[in-house]
Amino acid sequence: MIGGLLIVASGAAAGVFGSLLGLGGGILIVPLLTLGFGLPFREAVGVSLVSVIVTSGASAGVYLQRHVANLRLGMTLELFTATGALVGGLIAFLLSEQVIAALFAALLAYTAISMARGRERDTPSAEAEANGDATATDGSDGEATNGSFVASLSGPGYTVRRLPAGIVGSLFAGVVSALLGVGGGLVKVPVMHLLMGVPLRTATATSNLMIGVTASASAIIYLLRGGIDPFVAGPTAIGVFIGASIGSRTAHRIDLRLLRILFVVVLLYTAVQMAQRALALG
Amino acid sequence: MSEAPAPRPATVPAAAGRVPRRHADLDTQIARLLTAGTYVSIGLLAIGVLGMLAAGQSPFAGGPSFAPGRLIPDLVALRPEGFLWLGLIAVISTPSLRVAASLIGYLRSGERAMAVISALILGIIFLSVALAIGTEG
Repeated sequence: MIGGLLIVASGAAAGVFGSLLGLGGGILIVPLLTLGFGLPFREAVGVSLVSVIVTSGASAGVYLQRHVANLRLGMTLELFTATGALVGGLIAFLLSEQVIAALFAALLAYTAISMARGRERDTPSAEAEANGDATATDGSDGEATNGSFVASLSGPGYTVRRLPAGIVGSLFAGVVSALLGVGGGLVKVPVMHLLMGVPLRTATATSNLMIGVTASASAIIYLLRGGIDPFVAGPTAIGVFIGASIGSRTAHRIDLRLLRILFVVVLLYTAVQMAQRALALG
Repeated sequence: MSEAPAPRPATVPAAAGRVPRRHADLDTQIARLLTAGTYVSIGLLAIGVLGMLAAGQSPFAGGPSFAPGRLIPDLVALRPEGFLWLGLIAVISTPSLRVAASLIGYLRSGERAMAVISALILGIIFLSVALAIGTEG
């Protein structure tokens, strides 16, 4: 019984931190399950995929209800994230644990450096996102102006550009998601925002919407190939869901700058642990 | 004689300007589906986790592998693994249901390109199932 409660509590901690810092829980769940509970990597990735689908489903519903997420753009790009996830899900069963651990260490280091450099400084907090605060708008009604398909993907106040770059980024995000059990927002949000001209808030919400389909394309492979343990996945998903709900309600009361510094330290420490694990597995 | 209802506006207010009514309506329907799917999934998982805790089953002992044939008997016998597997299936299926609902919505509104994209996404998900079964080792 204690083991189950411990996993629920750990999932809740991952959900709170992930929600407060605008990250999916996946970046925390995999290290928690592998380094904390000694689970094999592939099993931890499968459990993490389930958890990110749960959290993205809950928040994507809110974003869509408030018309913050762009469903048409999200569906167009998720055709490619799902393709990437399908490929990644198959590759994951061919790669050694050592390679996956090394890739995860690199992802943790990249995330820590991004946060330290303040790239996420402008990322809306979970609370602000949930409130659907307004972004810049030119008052356009979002209809396509030139009748092209790309124009039809644009939303109020912005025009989508460089779709091919978005497709390449989405394929890569899908592979990363399936291999490492993360939502892939660290790839998708910058691609949509910086390359495709989508406002940050819309990019974050649309990325969140896309996580469900992306993660489910690979989660199916993990499920059917015995990569998901229900006794671990159930408590973790429940914990992450509770934690993310708490995080989104308390974000405005917490000094996120201090939390961010603490988190960078934790991520770097975890990256070193993960790299050591990769070397030990070799 | 009752008055005719006022026509619905062509656009609705959104977080960043206005979105066309037909997009907004589909957004709302999909949002409801996602929220309902998430809560059903969480409810099933919660029953399974409570059952697991009550039975003193350790998550570190290694859970049962997925066997579709055992799902109904486990549910009928109120075994925790039955609810956990059903919850996990609900979690993983909810995004596919969202895509299927989008496909229907786009077909109804005559948006052929988006309908084709929705159908292709469903095709990839089915391909995932087929490949997972075909390469099961």
